[in-house]
Amino acid sequence: MSAPFHPDYNPLILKLESIFDLTDEERQALEKLPMQVQVIKADQDIVREGDRPSRSCLLLSGFTCVYKITAGGKRQIVSFNIPGDIPDLQSLHLKVLDNSVATISQCRVGFITHDDLRDLCNRYPRITSAFWRETLIDAAIFREWVTNVGRREGVSRMAHVLCELLVRLKAVGLVEDHACDLPITQSEFADALGFTTVHVNRVLQQMRAEGLIELKGERLTIPDWERLKQVGEFDPTYLHLENDQAAA
Amino acid sequence: MSLTLQPIRVATGFDEEGMLVLDEEQRLLAVLTHLSNQYDGLAGHWYLEAKFGVLEGLGQPTYPDLDAAKEAIAQHLARRR
Repeated sequence: MSAPFHPDYNPLILKLESIFDLTDEERQALEKLPMQVQVIKADQDIVREGDRPSRSCLLLSGFTCVYKITAGGKRQIVSFNIPGDIPDLQSLHLKVLDNSVATISQCRVGFITHDDLRDLCNRYPRITSAFWRETLIDAAIFREWVTNVGRREGVSRMAHVLCELLVRLKAVGLVEDHACDLPITQSEFADALGFTTVHVNRVLQQMRAEGLIELKGERLTIPDWERLKQVGEFDPTYLHLENDQAAA
Repeated sequence: MSLTLQPIRVATGFDEEGMLVLDEEQRLLAVLTHLSNQYDGLAGHWYLEAKFGVLEGLGQPTYPDLDAAKEAIAQHLARRR
Protein backbone atom coordinates (compact mmCIF):
# COMPACT_ATOMS: atom_id res chain seq x y z
CA MET A 1 0.00 0.00 0.00
CA SER A 2 1.30 3.41 -0.93
CA ALA A 3 0.11 6.27 1.24
CA PRO A 4 1.24 9.67 2.38
CA PHE A 5 2.90 9.73 5.75
CA HIS A 6 0.94 11.84 8.27
CA PRO A 7 2.27 11.09 11.70
CA ASP A 8 2.59 13.39 14.67
CA TYR A 9 6.21 12.43 14.66
CA ASN A 10 7.92 12.77 11.27
CA PRO A 11 11.62 12.03 11.69
CA LEU A 12 12.50 13.06 8.11
CA ILE A 13 11.24 16.59 8.72
CA LEU A 14 12.98 16.78 12.12
CA LYS A 15 16.19 15.51 10.55
CA LEU A 16 16.13 17.96 7.63
CA GLU A 17 15.20 20.83 9.94
CA SER A 18 18.23 20.01 12.08
CA ILE A 19 20.48 20.76 9.11
CA PHE A 20 18.33 23.11 6.99
CA ASP A 21 15.48 25.68 7.32
CA LEU A 22 12.30 24.37 5.63
CA THR A 23 9.39 26.59 4.57
CA ASP A 24 5.82 25.57 5.43
CA GLU A 25 5.24 24.58 1.80
CA GLU A 26 8.33 22.40 1.74
CA ARG A 27 7.31 20.78 5.02
CA GLN A 28 3.87 19.99 3.58
CA ALA A 29 5.42 18.51 0.44
CA LEU A 30 7.54 16.21 2.62
CA GLU A 31 4.51 15.23 4.70
CA LYS A 32 2.65 14.25 1.52
CA LEU A 33 5.52 12.27 0.07
CA PRO A 34 4.09 8.85 -0.86
CA MET A 35 5.78 5.94 0.81
CA GLN A 36 5.17 2.27 1.36
CA VAL A 37 5.58 1.63 5.06
CA GLN A 38 6.85 -1.77 6.13
CA VAL A 39 7.84 -3.26 9.47
CA ILE A 40 11.06 -5.26 9.21
CA LYS A 41 12.33 -7.43 12.02
CA ALA A 42 15.83 -7.17 13.48
CA ASP A 43 18.95 -8.40 11.66
CA GLN A 44 17.47 -8.38 8.15
CA ASP A 45 19.02 -6.90 5.03
CA ILE A 46 16.94 -4.07 3.54
CA VAL A 47 19.16 -3.67 0.48
CA ARG A 48 22.34 -5.50 -0.51
CA GLU A 49 25.59 -4.57 -2.21
CA GLY A 50 25.14 -4.98 -5.97
CA ASP A 51 21.41 -4.16 -5.90
CA ARG A 52 19.99 -1.66 -8.38
CA PRO A 53 17.12 -0.20 -6.35
CA SER A 54 14.28 1.85 -7.82
CA ARG A 55 13.40 3.26 -4.39
CA SER A 56 15.12 4.52 -1.25
CA CYS A 57 14.26 3.74 2.36
CA LEU A 58 13.45 6.29 5.03
CA LEU A 59 13.95 4.95 8.53
CA LEU A 60 10.85 5.85 10.58
CA SER A 61 11.68 3.95 13.75
CA GLY A 62 14.44 1.61 14.94
CA PHE A 63 18.11 1.41 14.07
CA THR A 64 19.83 0.18 10.91
CA CYS A 65 23.45 0.00 9.82
CA VAL A 66 25.37 0.40 6.59
CA TYR A 67 27.94 -2.36 6.14
CA LYS A 68 30.37 -4.07 3.84
CA ILE A 69 31.75 -7.64 4.02
CA THR A 70 35.31 -8.84 3.29
CA ALA A 71 36.03 -11.87 1.11
CA GLY A 72 36.59 -13.83 4.34
CA GLY A 73 33.10 -12.96 5.59
CA LYS A 74 34.04 -10.31 8.15
CA ARG A 75 31.58 -7.49 8.45
CA GLN A 76 32.53 -3.84 8.82
CA ILE A 77 29.69 -1.55 9.86
CA VAL A 78 30.52 1.88 8.41
CA SER A 79 27.69 3.83 10.01
CA PHE A 80 24.65 3.49 12.23
CA ASN A 81 21.33 4.93 11.01
CA ILE A 82 18.62 6.38 13.19
CA PRO A 83 15.05 7.57 12.49
CA GLY A 84 14.97 10.29 9.84
CA ASP A 85 17.95 8.86 7.94
CA ILE A 86 17.67 7.66 4.34
CA PRO A 87 20.65 5.27 4.39
CA ASP A 88 20.49 4.50 0.66
CA LEU A 89 19.62 7.98 -0.61
CA GLN A 90 22.70 7.82 -2.85
CA SER A 91 20.97 5.14 -4.95
CA LEU A 92 18.87 7.95 -6.44
CA HIS A 93 21.96 8.93 -8.44
CA LEU A 94 24.36 5.96 -8.14
CA LYS A 95 22.73 3.03 -9.90
CA VAL A 96 24.53 0.12 -8.22
CA LEU A 97 24.72 -0.07 -4.43
CA ASP A 98 28.28 -0.46 -3.13
CA ASN A 99 27.17 -1.33 0.40
CA SER A 100 24.39 -3.17 2.19
CA VAL A 101 21.89 -1.82 4.73
CA ALA A 102 20.53 -4.05 7.50
CA THR A 103 18.19 -3.58 10.44
CA ILE A 104 19.71 -3.71 13.92
CA SER A 105 16.42 -3.64 15.81
CA GLN A 106 12.88 -4.06 14.49
CA CYS A 107 12.32 -1.10 12.18
CA ARG A 108 9.52 0.77 10.47
CA VAL A 109 10.80 1.72 7.05
CA GLY A 110 9.12 3.95 4.47
CA PHE A 111 10.07 3.05 0.90
CA ILE A 112 9.94 6.07 -1.43
CA THR A 113 10.24 5.48 -5.17
CA HIS A 114 13.03 7.28 -6.98
CA ASP A 115 10.37 8.69 -9.34
CA ASP A 116 8.61 10.35 -6.38
CA LEU A 117 11.92 11.60 -4.97
CA ARG A 118 12.90 13.05 -8.38
CA ASP A 119 9.51 14.72 -8.68
CA LEU A 120 9.85 16.22 -5.20
CA CYS A 121 13.35 17.48 -6.00
CA ASN A 122 12.23 18.97 -9.33
CA ARG A 123 9.39 20.86 -7.67
CA TYR A 124 11.35 21.96 -4.59
CA PRO A 125 14.98 22.80 -5.44
CA ARG A 126 15.66 23.74 -1.83
CA ILE A 127 14.71 20.20 -0.77
CA THR A 128 17.21 18.97 -3.38
CA SER A 129 19.79 21.13 -1.61
CA ALA A 130 18.75 19.70 1.76
CA PHE A 131 19.18 16.12 0.48
CA TRP A 132 22.51 17.07 -1.06
CA ARG A 133 23.58 18.55 2.25
CA GLU A 134 22.46 15.37 3.99
CA THR A 135 24.62 13.15 1.77
CA LEU A 136 27.57 15.52 2.28
CA ILE A 137 27.13 15.16 6.03
CA ASP A 138 26.98 11.36 5.59
CA ALA A 139 30.39 11.64 3.92
CA ALA A 140 31.65 13.78 6.82
CA ILE A 141 30.47 11.05 9.22
CA PHE A 142 32.37 8.41 7.21
CA ARG A 143 35.55 10.56 7.37
CA GLU A 144 35.12 10.89 11.11
CA TRP A 145 34.65 7.13 11.47
CA VAL A 146 37.82 6.34 9.47
CA THR A 147 39.74 8.65 11.80
CA ASN A 148 38.08 7.21 14.88
CA VAL A 149 38.52 3.53 13.99
CA GLY A 150 42.00 4.06 12.60
CA ARG A 151 43.50 6.27 15.26
CA ARG A 152 41.60 6.28 18.55
CA GLU A 153 41.85 3.41 21.00
CA GLY A 154 39.52 1.50 23.31
CA VAL A 155 37.43 3.74 25.54
CA SER A 156 38.06 6.85 23.45
CA ARG A 157 36.87 5.14 20.24
CA MET A 158 33.70 3.87 21.90
CA ALA A 159 33.05 7.21 23.63
CA HIS A 160 33.28 9.04 20.31
CA VAL A 161 30.64 6.86 18.66
CA LEU A 162 28.33 7.11 21.68
CA CYS A 163 28.65 10.92 21.62
CA GLU A 164 27.80 10.97 17.92
CA LEU A 165 24.75 8.75 18.41
CA LEU A 166 23.49 10.89 21.27
CA VAL A 167 23.79 14.15 19.32
CA ARG A 168 22.14 12.70 16.21
CA LEU A 169 19.31 11.11 18.25
CA LYS A 170 18.77 14.41 20.04
CA ALA A 171 18.32 16.18 16.70
CA VAL A 172 15.32 13.94 15.95
CA GLY A 173 13.83 14.18 19.43
CA LEU A 174 14.90 10.77 20.74
CA VAL A 175 17.00 11.88 23.73
CA GLU A 176 15.67 12.78 27.16
CA ASP A 177 18.09 14.28 29.63
CA HIS A 178 21.17 12.62 28.11
CA ALA A 179 19.47 9.21 27.95
CA CYS A 180 18.31 7.25 24.91
CA ASP A 181 17.32 3.79 23.74
CA LEU A 182 20.28 2.07 22.17
CA PRO A 183 19.48 -1.40 20.76
CA ILE A 184 23.03 -1.98 19.45
CA THR A 185 24.56 -5.29 20.65
CA GLN A 186 28.19 -5.80 21.69
CA SER A 187 28.74 -7.81 18.52
CA GLU A 188 27.42 -4.92 16.38
CA PHE A 189 29.64 -2.44 18.22
CA ALA A 190 32.54 -4.81 17.53
CA ASP A 191 31.77 -4.80 13.80
CA ALA A 192 31.47 -1.00 13.80
CA LEU A 193 34.57 -0.22 15.86
CA GLY A 194 36.95 -2.88 14.58
CA PHE A 195 37.07 -4.49 18.03
CA THR A 196 36.38 -8.07 19.07
CA THR A 197 33.31 -8.67 21.23
CA VAL A 198 35.69 -9.43 24.11
CA HIS A 199 37.27 -6.00 23.69
CA VAL A 200 33.85 -4.30 23.48
CA ASN A 201 32.84 -6.06 26.70
CA ARG A 202 35.98 -4.82 28.50
CA VAL A 203 35.64 -1.28 27.18
CA LEU A 204 31.99 -1.02 28.29
CA GLN A 205 32.85 -2.48 31.72
CA GLN A 206 35.63 0.07 32.12
CA MET A 207 33.35 2.92 31.05
CA ARG A 208 30.70 1.82 33.55
CA ALA A 209 33.28 1.55 36.32
CA GLU A 210 34.55 5.05 35.55
CA GLY A 211 31.02 6.48 35.56
CA LEU A 212 31.12 7.46 31.87
CA ILE A 213 28.00 5.51 30.96
CA GLU A 214 25.09 3.72 32.58
CA LEU A 215 23.54 0.84 30.62
CA LYS A 216 20.30 -0.79 31.72
CA GLY A 217 19.09 -3.20 29.07
CA GLU A 218 18.83 -1.07 25.95
CA ARG A 219 18.73 2.23 27.83
CA LEU A 220 21.91 4.32 27.73
CA THR A 221 22.40 7.21 30.15
CA ILE A 222 25.33 9.61 30.03
CA PRO A 223 25.85 10.91 33.58
CA ASP A 224 28.54 13.44 32.62
CA TRP A 225 28.23 14.61 29.01
CA GLU A 226 31.21 16.96 29.12
CA ARG A 227 33.50 14.20 30.39
CA LEU A 228 32.32 11.70 27.75
CA LYS A 229 32.94 14.30 25.03
CA GLN A 230 36.42 14.91 26.41
CA VAL A 231 37.28 11.20 26.57
CA GLY A 232 35.96 10.66 23.03
CA GLU A 233 37.67 13.82 21.69
CA PHE A 234 34.24 14.60 20.32
CA ASP A 235 33.65 17.84 18.41
CA PRO A 236 30.20 17.85 16.74
CA THR A 237 31.26 20.27 13.96
CA TYR A 238 31.33 17.42 11.39
CA LEU A 239 27.59 16.82 11.94
CA HIS A 240 26.90 20.38 10.69
CA LEU A 241 23.76 20.84 12.76
CA GLU A 242 22.01 24.17 12.28
CA ASN A 243 20.90 24.36 15.86
CA ASP A 244 23.84 24.60 18.27
CA GLN A 245 21.53 23.50 21.09
CA ALA A 246 21.43 20.05 19.52
CA ALA A 247 25.12 19.52 20.18
CA ALA A 248 24.99 20.63 23.81
CA MET B 1 54.73 -28.07 14.60
CA SER B 2 54.92 -28.60 18.34
CA LEU B 3 53.78 -25.59 20.32
CA THR B 4 54.46 -25.02 23.98
CA LEU B 5 52.46 -23.04 26.51
CA GLN B 6 53.71 -21.00 29.45
CA PRO B 7 51.31 -19.62 32.07
CA ILE B 8 51.34 -15.86 32.47
CA ARG B 9 49.13 -13.21 34.03
CA VAL B 10 47.79 -10.73 31.51
CA ALA B 11 47.32 -7.05 32.40
CA THR B 12 44.01 -6.55 30.60
CA GLY B 13 42.76 -4.33 33.41
CA PHE B 14 40.80 -7.28 34.82
CA ASP B 15 43.74 -9.30 36.19
CA GLU B 16 43.18 -12.29 33.92
CA GLU B 17 45.21 -15.45 33.60
CA GLY B 18 46.74 -16.40 30.30
CA MET B 19 49.26 -18.42 28.31
CA LEU B 20 52.22 -17.52 26.17
CA VAL B 21 52.28 -19.65 23.00
CA LEU B 22 55.82 -20.49 21.77
CA ASP B 23 57.04 -22.36 18.71
CA GLU B 24 59.73 -25.09 18.65
CA GLU B 25 62.46 -22.47 18.67
CA GLN B 26 60.98 -20.61 21.63
CA ARG B 27 59.69 -17.74 19.49
CA LEU B 28 56.66 -16.01 20.97
CA LEU B 29 53.69 -16.52 18.65
CA ALA B 30 50.71 -15.34 20.67
CA VAL B 31 49.20 -14.57 24.06
CA LEU B 32 45.97 -16.33 25.04
CA THR B 33 43.72 -15.00 27.82
CA HIS B 34 41.41 -17.25 29.85
CA LEU B 35 38.06 -15.43 29.86
CA SER B 36 36.36 -14.97 33.22
CA ASN B 37 32.65 -14.87 34.08
CA GLN B 38 32.20 -11.27 32.93
CA TYR B 39 31.87 -12.42 29.29
CA ASP B 40 28.41 -13.73 28.51
CA GLY B 41 28.62 -17.07 26.77
CA LEU B 42 32.40 -16.98 26.49
CA ALA B 43 33.40 -17.63 30.11
CA GLY B 44 36.12 -20.28 30.26
CA HIS B 45 37.12 -19.80 26.63
CA TRP B 46 40.59 -18.77 25.51
CA TYR B 47 40.87 -15.49 23.63
CA LEU B 48 43.67 -14.72 21.18
CA GLU B 49 44.66 -11.56 23.00
CA ALA B 50 47.73 -10.75 20.95
CA LYS B 51 49.61 -12.35 18.08
CA PHE B 52 52.73 -11.69 16.08
CA GLY B 53 53.46 -11.40 12.35
CA VAL B 54 53.41 -15.05 11.34
CA LEU B 55 49.83 -15.37 12.63
CA GLU B 56 48.53 -12.52 10.46
CA GLY B 57 45.20 -13.50 8.96
CA LEU B 58 44.12 -15.57 11.94
CA GLY B 59 41.86 -12.81 13.28
CA GLN B 60 41.24 -12.66 17.03
CA PRO B 61 39.05 -15.68 17.76
CA THR B 62 38.15 -17.32 21.03
CA TYR B 63 38.65 -21.07 21.48
CA PRO B 64 36.67 -23.41 23.77
CA ASP B 65 39.88 -24.92 25.20
CA LEU B 66 43.67 -24.81 24.89
CA ASP B 67 43.86 -27.83 22.57
CA ALA B 68 41.56 -26.10 20.09
CA ALA B 69 43.70 -22.95 20.30
CA LYS B 70 46.94 -24.85 19.72
CA GLU B 71 45.45 -26.77 16.80
CA ALA B 72 44.15 -23.62 15.08
CA ILE B 73 47.52 -21.87 15.49
CA ALA B 74 49.46 -24.93 14.24
CA GLN B 75 47.17 -25.27 11.22
CA HIS B 76 47.61 -21.60 10.38
CA LEU B 77 51.39 -21.99 10.51
CA ALA B 78 51.25 -25.15 8.37
CA ARG B 79 49.21 -23.34 5.71
CA ARG B 80 51.82 -20.59 5.64
CA ARG B 81 54.58 -22.92 4.52
